[in-house]
This record gives sequence, C-alpha cells and structure tokens, in this order.
Amino acid sequence: MVIDDSSAMRLILGRIMRGLGFDVVEAPNGAEAIARLQSGSMPEIALVDWNMPVMDGLAFVNAVRKEEKWRQITLMMVTTESEQSQIVRALAAGAHEYVIKPFTPDAIADKLALLGVLAY
Amino acid sequence: MTYIPSADDLEVITREVWTSFLDGDPAGLLSGSDGVGAERVTGCVHLSGAYTGSIMLACSAPAARDAAAALFSMQPDAVTQTEVIDAIGELANMVGGNVKSMLPGPSALSLPAVVHGQLAVPGAQMVREVHLTWRSEPLVISLWQQAAQAA
Repeated sequence: MVIDDSSAMRLILGRIMRGLGFDVVEAPNGAEAIARLQSGSMPEIALVDWNMPVMDGLAFVNAVRKEEKWRQITLMMVTTESEQSQIVRALAAGAHEYVIKPFTPDAIADKLALLGVLAY
Repeated sequence: MTYIPSADDLEVITREVWTSFLDGDPAGLLSGSDGVGAERVTGCVHLSGAYTGSIMLACSAPAARDAAAALFSMQPDAVTQTEVIDAIGELANMVGGNVKSMLPGPSALSLPAVVHGQLAVPGAQMVREVHLTWRSEPLVISLWQQAAQAA
C-alpha cells in the first residue's frame, strides 16, 4: 500500500513496488488508508508519507499499531521529514523503517530487503 | 547564532531532488538564471517552531509543465494544471523538508501551497536565494525567515 497525498509520488512509488513484484493499492492520506484496511485490504507493507491532509502518517502508524489484526503489516515511512527527533518519533510509534525523500529505487529495494519483505 | 543554510546548500538539495526524480543527470540543472518572470508557478512550504519561515520554489510555467511531465512520465502537452500543482507542491515539499533538516529544530513542516504567480509571505524576509536553469528555463529557490526571528 502506498500512502501519499501527492499523486506523482504515488505513481513513482507504485511503479517501483510493481517492479519489485508487489501488487499495489494507493491511498491519498491516512484516513483513506485506514478505510481500505477496514474494508479488508491487508497489505504486506505500507509505504507512508508523513505530511498529509486529513490524517498524517504518524497518526496512521499509531492507528495501525493499536489494532492487533493489523500487527503483521510492515510500516515504512517515506517522507521529507528528516529531523532526527521526527525519525525517532515515527520509529517509537511503530514504523519499522524510514526513507527520506528524495530516494532512489535501489534505496527502496534495499530497505525492503532489510525488512525481509523482499528476497534478493 | 542561528545557522542558515547557504545558497550552495539550497542548490545541492535542489540538484539532488532534480537528479532523483526529473533528470537523472546532475548536469541537467545549471547554476544561474536571469530570474523568473511574471508567468511563474510558485510552490511553498512553511516552517513553524524553532525556525519560522518558508521555502519557496518558483519556476517559469514551461519549467513547471516539464517538471510535471517528468514526474508523471507524460508528454508535456498532455499535462493538466492539477498535475502541475501536484508536481510543484511535491518538489517544494522535498526541497523544503531537506532544507528544514539543516535549520534549528524542532519545527513543523506545512503541506505545500502552489500558486500561479508570485507568493508573498507577510512579515518574512528572504535570507537566501539561488538561481538555477533547467531546460533553458529559470528556477529560483528561496529561504525566508519571519522578521521577528531574523532580527
């Protein structure tokens, strides 16, 4: 699942993920992503932007981590928020990895491999 | 004394964003330009907190259209205004977020705002500016600081 309010960024990340063999669903903010999860979508991994309208990425991570049934979803922040304190907040909330924009496709693939959701 | 990223810092950050998402070629973005005319698109993100101010990305309308075309992998003449706004907003967000990491923190980063034309930031003064050229079109990145902090 790719969650980002920029449709250009959803397109870029979606293309990278499809290229790595994933089926991709998209959401423009955390609230719509939660709605997709509630309707039965169960992604292996969610790539989550931080700054989004309606529900931001940190609130999404907190909401997902509160629900036992969503515990197996791997959460990776993909965001311009690069302050150390923000990275610590996201990881403390339950994000597994953190990628700072701009990124390369290889950087995304490397992080996914580190998380064990991508076999090289 | 507050450290303010230099014009070179702004250029390095912009070059990294452009290389990652638009050109793949560091030489595609040239230093210097004659400035952006009235027919411009401006993207802006605001910072509030330890540093209060704004980061603006202004470019000519053709540069904005070409940037959107590159991000969306489209032909420039097929790009809509919605795609231009999305693309310039995301580019301003990426440049702004990386500039923010060099400023005193913590600060909150706003969602990007995009306008056709010039954008004014009431009570702020420009502290850094860098002029660039992409595909023969001008691009200007500027950092603004709220006057009370700048004093």
